[in-house]
Amino acid sequence: MKTMTKLKRNIRLVFMLFCGLFLSLLGYLTYFQVYERQKLIESSYNRRLWEQEESITRGTIYDVKGRVLAKTVEENGVKKRIYPEGEAFGPLLGYSSRKLGRANLEQALNGELLGISQQDPMMVLRQKVLGVSRGNDVYLTIDSELQKKAYNLFRGRRGALVALDPNTGAVLAMVSSPGYDSTAVEQKWDILSKDEESPLINRAVQGLYPPGSTFKIVTLAAALENIPDIEDKIYETPGYVEVSGRVIRDYEGFKPGKYDVKRALSMSSNSVFVKIGLEVGKERLFNKAEDFGFNEEIPFELPAAVSRFPRFSLMSDNVELAEASIGQGRILATPLQMAQVVSAVANGGRIMQPYIVQKVVTPLGEVKDFSRPVLLKEVIDVVTANKIRQYMVDVVENGTGKSARIRGIPVAGKTGSAENPHGKPHAWFVGFAPAYDPKIAVAVVVENAGSGGGNAGPIAREVMLHYLKSLQ
Amino acid sequence: MDSREEAIYNKALAAMALMGFLSFLLLSIYRKPVSLVPFYGAITFLTIVFIGYFFTGWIFPNSDKFLFILAGFLAELGLIMLCRINPELFKRQVAFFAIGVGFFILSSILTKYFVRLDVAPFYFWAATAALLLLPLFFGVERGGAKNWLVFNGFTFQPSELAKITFVFYLASVLKEGKVNSIYRLGAGILAVTGLLALSKDLGGAMLFYFTALTVIFAATSRLDLAVGGILSAAVGGIISYNLFDHVRVRIEAWLNPWRDVPGRGYQIVQSLFSIAEGGYFGTGLGLGRPDFIPAVATDFIFSAFAEEFGFLGAAAVILMYFLLVYRGIRIALRLNENFLVLLALGHTVMFGMQIFTIIGGVIKLIPVTGVTLPFMSYGGSSMVMSFTSLGILNGLWQRALEGEDDDEA
Repeated sequence: MKTMTKLKRNIRLVFMLFCGLFLSLLGYLTYFQVYERQKLIESSYNRRLWEQEESITRGTIYDVKGRVLAKTVEENGVKKRIYPEGEAFGPLLGYSSRKLGRANLEQALNGELLGISQQDPMMVLRQKVLGVSRGNDVYLTIDSELQKKAYNLFRGRRGALVALDPNTGAVLAMVSSPGYDSTAVEQKWDILSKDEESPLINRAVQGLYPPGSTFKIVTLAAALENIPDIEDKIYETPGYVEVSGRVIRDYEGFKPGKYDVKRALSMSSNSVFVKIGLEVGKERLFNKAEDFGFNEEIPFELPAAVSRFPRFSLMSDNVELAEASIGQGRILATPLQMAQVVSAVANGGRIMQPYIVQKVVTPLGEVKDFSRPVLLKEVIDVVTANKIRQYMVDVVENGTGKSARIRGIPVAGKTGSAENPHGKPHAWFVGFAPAYDPKIAVAVVVENAGSGGGNAGPIAREVMLHYLKSLQ
Repeated sequence: MDSREEAIYNKALAAMALMGFLSFLLLSIYRKPVSLVPFYGAITFLTIVFIGYFFTGWIFPNSDKFLFILAGFLAELGLIMLCRINPELFKRQVAFFAIGVGFFILSSILTKYFVRLDVAPFYFWAATAALLLLPLFFGVERGGAKNWLVFNGFTFQPSELAKITFVFYLASVLKEGKVNSIYRLGAGILAVTGLLALSKDLGGAMLFYFTALTVIFAATSRLDLAVGGILSAAVGGIISYNLFDHVRVRIEAWLNPWRDVPGRGYQIVQSLFSIAEGGYFGTGLGLGRPDFIPAVATDFIFSAFAEEFGFLGAAAVILMYFLLVYRGIRIALRLNENFLVLLALGHTVMFGMQIFTIIGGVIKLIPVTGVTLPFMSYGGSSMVMSFTSLGILNGLWQRALEGEDDDEA
């Protein structure tokens, strides 16, 4: 009978095993409902979405002032998505087409536009009972006038611009050039998808460029925090600097001589900033770059490429550190990232989380407000930020950034001319205005255009001026 | 039988009838043009349920009524989904259900009066192997597995019957509580699993193998065999992953279905979309789109159910299956002869494993392997053989009660 008791004991063990197996089924199903569900419902592979879209009219996208950016109209019973504002908005809004799928904001906001992302079951029930077949309308923080103005300033050259409200993180304009007309994307797909200037990419969040001298803001921040007497130091430079056998030159027309750090920033001296960078050291420069958001995904409605600063442990020698101090070498940044950097200076060292959706309005009139500013992190203290601010004002008044000067309004800025393997340097300008009460911060890059002061500065100037005028 | 128990049974039956009437009425109205097929189907179904219930109650006053009620309820839920997905399959499934109930009663009687203890295990093994060999020679391929036989338009899946003979084999070979020849037992089990793997029925192979391991462990208390068995299963899995394309496809579709959504990952991704769409409360009967899932009537019926009845419905189904397993274990614990205990345990484990394999598969907890969900999936062989196994459990329950009466006497 002993075997029988053992057998019964084993059967109880087997039963425990089944308890475990069935519990894991229930557990996984619960996990699935809580964490995976929403992602799957909104997945663009989900055929239900297309079925639903047949019956649901996709919501309208408006700009900050209520101008229509994208809407669905019915022509002879066929639904058609139109984008009245044209090319300037192509890479930002993307498209929504049964044939091509969805891209950019049309993709990112799909759940809202179809009205399927609200979690509240009572809400869903109400809509079902009332027979609502419209998605939600989305209001962006973008100013359509500003966006078009900025886009036209590129005159078809490759590049990108991001304009933020540094106090809140609201995106005021996000331009990628060349653009395209989203309404005609199906007809022109073959040309657009093969175009070597890649108009389909949103360069403002996906483009990775060496930041060049605009990165000196980060180097400067690290220096101000870590080198005690930096403001009184005088650097003498012959117009170049040699690091472990590699010669790094200042730009053509730079006058050799004695520079303090402020003047070195204004004249964008590579040789002086290399010296400062070497004094700051690998680890501190790396940490400051990460503080400013390098090597980290920016939380934003659109997926943004991660800006890169090489790990200091992998920086083989001082040459790399030297190049990093002036934004060359293996550093890469998106225009959105550089806009974040300059916003931090404008906002007293505080980086706000960028956002582009201001509010969502359901067909029943319920408003979901997304415009609450969220502090992402504090990267430098107010004193340091104000010093950098003053230096950047000097850049525009007396230095390389004169092209961004606005009469009667102090502007802070920094130019950059980023060496790259594809030809002429990329022209950069980052800045904000008014310098002592910032309302707008911009980052501009024009690919292979030459010097930043000459090519990117004027674009930034016009955009800032236009925006400040519109506020009055 | 005391009246309290009777009242519980009656409540369960009433719930089942109510659920059936409401759902089939909805389906009748929902279809355009309005069709009475679901309604007649429901009447037929419920009639069979009640006839089956009272008939078993009449011939076996001590019958384990929960087994029949649970299976009937699950079959009803399966039929509701089938009726919603494809009315043609629904009509045939009602017929399969009727046959299944017949087999339930038949196998209850046979088990109660005729199961003998002295049949040599070899005969059961030979029957299993023969059943699995047949389709390899004469079978046709359906849904990637060559495990179907066709006679005059009727199709039959011998591996469903083989499950029963295999459990008999395990019970008889292990009835002394020890392994006489580990080599002979191992070879016997590997041959059976090998035959299933040859017909590309991976789910079946897994099912038979793990059922065998569990029963061997229970009978012999030998942990070394269980651990060794699991290890060799892992080794075998890795080898077949590298050797066989169809194994690799399944594993990859499980690990990352998103890499190839239109191809390898299609089925599992559609299943997940379906479950996600359902949410907690479901879209409501007839309002989801389970028809996007390939093989939704057979292997993926659970996903369809989860879409339209939601997480709550799906959890209820899982709990009902759990109760079924619980009843099976309870029967095994009440029996007093090794052979019968192992028989009850073997059938219960086979049920439990099968349920876990397919539900776990369609929710992507484990890789998908094509086995049916007992009582709910469309399919004659599965329905009839599931009821036959259940009948065996019911017959064993009768013997357990008889044994107790004898002890008391």
